Amino acid sequence: MPSQAGSKLFVDLTIAFRNLVQHRRRTLFLGLAIAAVTALLVLLTGLSTGVRETMIDTATTLSTGHVNVGGFYKVTAGQAAPVVTDYKKVLEIAKTAVPEMAFAVQRGRGWAKVVSDTGSMQLGITGIDIKSEPKVAQALQLVSGNLNDLAQPGTMLLFDNQSEKLGVKVGDAITISAPTTRGTNNTIDVRVVAIAHSLGMLSTWNSFIPIESLRALYQLNQGSTGVIQIMLKRKDVDHIPAIAGRLRLALDQAGYRMMEPDPRAFWMKFQSVSREDWTGQKLDVTSWEDEISFMTWTLQALQVLSTVLIVILVAIIIIGIMNTMWIAIRERTREIGTLRAIGMHRREVLWMFLLESIMLGFGATIGGVIAGAAIAAGLNAAHVPVPTGLQFFLMSPHLHLSVHGSLLVQSVLIITLVTAVAAFYPSMKAARLQPVDAMSHFG
Amino acid sequence: MNQQTKRWTFAALAAVTTLNLFPGAGPAGRAFAALTNTQMVDLLKMVDDRQKNNGDWRAQAYLEQKEKDKVDTVYQTEYFRRSSDQKFMILFTAPKSSAGQGYLRIDKNLWFYDPSVGKWERRTERERIGGTNSRRSDFDESRLAEEYDPTDEGEEKLGVYTAQKLKLTGKSGQDLAFPIVHLWVDKESKNILKRQEYALSGRLLRTSYYTKWKKIYSPSKKGDTWYPEEIRFYDEVEKANQTLVLIKAVDPNALPQNLFTKAWLESKSR
Repeated sequence: MPSQAGSKLFVDLTIAFRNLVQHRRRTLFLGLAIAAVTALLVLLTGLSTGVRETMIDTATTLSTGHVNVGGFYKVTAGQAAPVVTDYKKVLEIAKTAVPEMAFAVQRGRGWAKVVSDTGSMQLGITGIDIKSEPKVAQALQLVSGNLNDLAQPGTMLLFDNQSEKLGVKVGDAITISAPTTRGTNNTIDVRVVAIAHSLGMLSTWNSFIPIESLRALYQLNQGSTGVIQIMLKRKDVDHIPAIAGRLRLALDQAGYRMMEPDPRAFWMKFQSVSREDWTGQKLDVTSWEDEISFMTWTLQALQVLSTVLIVILVAIIIIGIMNTMWIAIRERTREIGTLRAIGMHRREVLWMFLLESIMLGFGATIGGVIAGAAIAAGLNAAHVPVPTGLQFFLMSPHLHLSVHGSLLVQSVLIITLVTAVAAFYPSMKAARLQPVDAMSHFG
Repeated sequence: MNQQTKRWTFAALAAVTTLNLFPGAGPAGRAFAALTNTQMVDLLKMVDDRQKNNGDWRAQAYLEQKEKDKVDTVYQTEYFRRSSDQKFMILFTAPKSSAGQGYLRIDKNLWFYDPSVGKWERRTERERIGGTNSRRSDFDESRLAEEYDPTDEGEEKLGVYTAQKLKLTGKSGQDLAFPIVHLWVDKESKNILKRQEYALSGRLLRTSYYTKWKKIYSPSKKGDTWYPEEIRFYDEVEKANQTLVLIKAVDPNALPQNLFTKAWLESKSR
């Protein structure tokens, strides 16, 4: 029996294939349309995934870990500084509470006035130990200078949009001025040692100095830092809320005063923290999504746009296939009548037309995903520059599309299914034709 | 006061400026034997020693600031210094909007006080005094040998003067207004004629002309102390900006012990 069914399927496939070849012009046009839509689907989804991945990579390199232990230290009720005191103890607790930790780094956080000989601007200042963060070197593309020089005290890394605004290049001096935790304005001089390509929105207001220089600016001791950024093993990235909750509980049990969970970036909490009536240290556990919550709207907007476009494309496919099927059935009405007259059942007619559509859809989508993946690879290899305005949202100086194997398989399955669904109703109508009426049809 | 004055009628300022515009016209130094490092350091020490007071110092400084599309502003200040612990203070006395502001250097930290907000802010040596092109070190004793490593750049003619040109590179760990300085020292008098100050990137930031030097007898030094009576600073980044500094009413006698305090400076605006 199974061999009989297999043999029948083979015959059906052969008939469907021959029918497609016989109407090769129609098959070709419809196949090309389906392939183009599939390629477009692959490219759109690849762009959306690429932006998301770039955003996560950029964010977790520039300003946040997967999970962060930050917080505020208040000398008086009205003055809050983003400081974690005695951070080594906190790190030990985190190591115990988060076995999923791949590694952790500590960084200083600040917001300061940066003054050059020709201009000034307000910038976020990240204190970093560049020797312990090799990932930063991989993520940043330098325009000029040497990233290793950031290990020297009194140095600074700027992004090209910032260096342009300040009118500085590598070797120029810059003055950084900021209020210390006690409210006294302090100033340090730093030398620009590296200028990196802009990485979009995050790099607009972020810059790096050695953590020792940040401590000198804010008059902090060696045991204090701004935040402990915890990077998780890749397989655990989907469990961040549970891990953050566990860490928050562990710190609470260790006697630390914890801030209420608040899904906002640390700098958005200054006002509310300054209004609260407490002094001393409070810790805050956040996720990477919290720290860049102010910019995930760009991702959501892109996803909505992609969804709308995909819906439009699918509608085009459905209308196109249904229309083509109606034409095909009209052209082949007498053929259907003859087949029915010599004993072909209705469900076999339905199956024949459906199989033709599925075969066409499958073949075309295979071609479409290959074309889409090739175009995506070509665009990635060509490092297509993105206009400056768009870089702000895409977080990359180049267009980056992320096309995974799963995306290709999904695209093939979805479009083939859509093709089959679109062909179902016309096929059913064809199957319902009366043999006598069909054979006497002149069209 | 037994004050002997030697004025540098620097009628050649225009000529100096011309030479600055055509630097190739000047250097004749390569014909001379290059100075050894010891000779250069000795020269810097000599320049420093001539300006050292080894005691207290009080003087008035007038700062005339010219900026593009702005009305010229003249600041009147009094400044004080003490050699023993390198303390330094500038108090603005005019115009009214700046009166009471001041800078105080204690323990190698420079503090700025603004009476309108009643707060002190720590500043660095790059600070533009009162927003002019002058820096704190322009009013302090010369410490070139202590702060910089020299390189011989040969001899140059600056107008009628023959100058020894040195390139000075800041020593590490020093808080300096400028990390690289090109210095023209009069071979005859050992007074500074001109300075050009650069960033580490090689960008020229400021050119200074020391157009008048004077000397005063210092009881603490038991000898003459030289000081620039007139300095002209030209901003090389914002080309139209320049500052003229005039130093008057120099008094090298001892100052009260409690002068270099935040309280003293604050009291001047109450």
